[in-house]
Amino acid sequence: MDATDDDLRRQLLELLPRLRRFARALARNMHDADDLVQVALERALTRSAQLHAGAPLAPWMFGIVRNAWTDELRSRGRRARLFAPAEAGEQAVDASAGPHTEVLAVQEALARLPAEQRSAVALVLIEGLSYKEAAYIMDVPVGTLTSRLARGREALQAMLDETTGAQR
Amino acid sequence: MSFSDETLMAYADGELDAATRAQIEAALATDADLAQRIARQRQLRARLQAAFEPVLDEPLPPRLLESAQRFPGAGRADNVVPLRRTPAPRWSWSQWGAMAASLLLGVLAAALLLAPTGGPIITRHGEMLAGGTLARALTAQLASRQPPDAPVQIGVSFRARSGLYCRSFVLRDKAALAGLACRDQGAWRVQMLAAAAAAAPAGTGAYRSATSALPPQLAHAIDELIAGEPLDAQTEAAARERGWTP
Repeated sequence: MDATDDDLRRQLLELLPRLRRFARALARNMHDADDLVQVALERALTRSAQLHAGAPLAPWMFGIVRNAWTDELRSRGRRARLFAPAEAGEQAVDASAGPHTEVLAVQEALARLPAEQRSAVALVLIEGLSYKEAAYIMDVPVGTLTSRLARGREALQAMLDETTGAQR
Repeated sequence: MSFSDETLMAYADGELDAATRAQIEAALATDADLAQRIARQRQLRARLQAAFEPVLDEPLPPRLLESAQRFPGAGRADNVVPLRRTPAPRWSWSQWGAMAASLLLGVLAAALLLAPTGGPIITRHGEMLAGGTLARALTAQLASRQPPDAPVQIGVSFRARSGLYCRSFVLRDKAALAGLACRDQGAWRVQMLAAAAAAAPAGTGAYRSATSALPPQLAHAIDELIAGEPLDAQTEAAARERGWTP
């Protein structure tokens, strides 16, 4: 029995709820999100040699989930990008109707963001990672990360102001 | 003093350097608009977090737990590979076709059922039970010490998640059949049967060679059922002493 392998599996189990949350923020649909997590787990276990001893697991795993998602988007090609927002739009709801629809409104708004902005928002605002960590995961300079984050935030704010506008 | 949205965002995220932070905090005392802009940034973060927080409390899907615990890791090809670490076949009953599977099982079972009473598989109330030589081998034969020419070769013995003891076997007489049986209420209930790829080679290392001869669907079924590791020679002998009762 390989001690480091066991250790990796234990840490992955601990990280699973957060990986699922991150994937849900990216993919929205629960089944698609869990597919991403599964692909990421399997990639991680196959490539565990790439994780240096002592390096934190979470950023590495978030990066693998995000790459799995990017691969998925790419393989779905234009179709996903063109039609997903329109399909989602049909489920748009009035956020004033209660806490459940508030959740849907937020998820809906997030799903409408371009992929790179959505990644930045999910990593920093939902997962609570630092700019530096998020930039590392997205493999971009911190300046790129912050501008994506700023644009994503602005767009979200505009969409959510719209849905909650009646209350203000 | 005016601050860009990006600066306020960084402030709300706790990412500003101390000097700029101090400037903002000084301005906040007199600038109600600034305070509101920051509050909006924080409110957005809170709404996003609240929307996704419940995911953390959802029960974890079994398939993810399965992947995290059992998906084979890397770089272990040179080791002796315990059963749990064998590459999980990308095989499933559904892919393979439930019909094809039951057809195969039907054919195999029929061949055995045509055998005279005392054959290795018997049916009772529509359930397949081990009989004759198979039942005797499952009860008495230790994988670690079985004669290479025994008509039944025991493969892996393990404890299932249900607590029952289960053992895989290969019948080496007429048709080479591999299967899996679990000890339940005084009988060996046959969980599945499949055509064995090849008879396990005789000689030393029977335990491992019998394991590697397992048809992939059988290895997969064991992977699904097993709790922990397969029994080793010592725990296998102890389980036999207790009559395979949990």
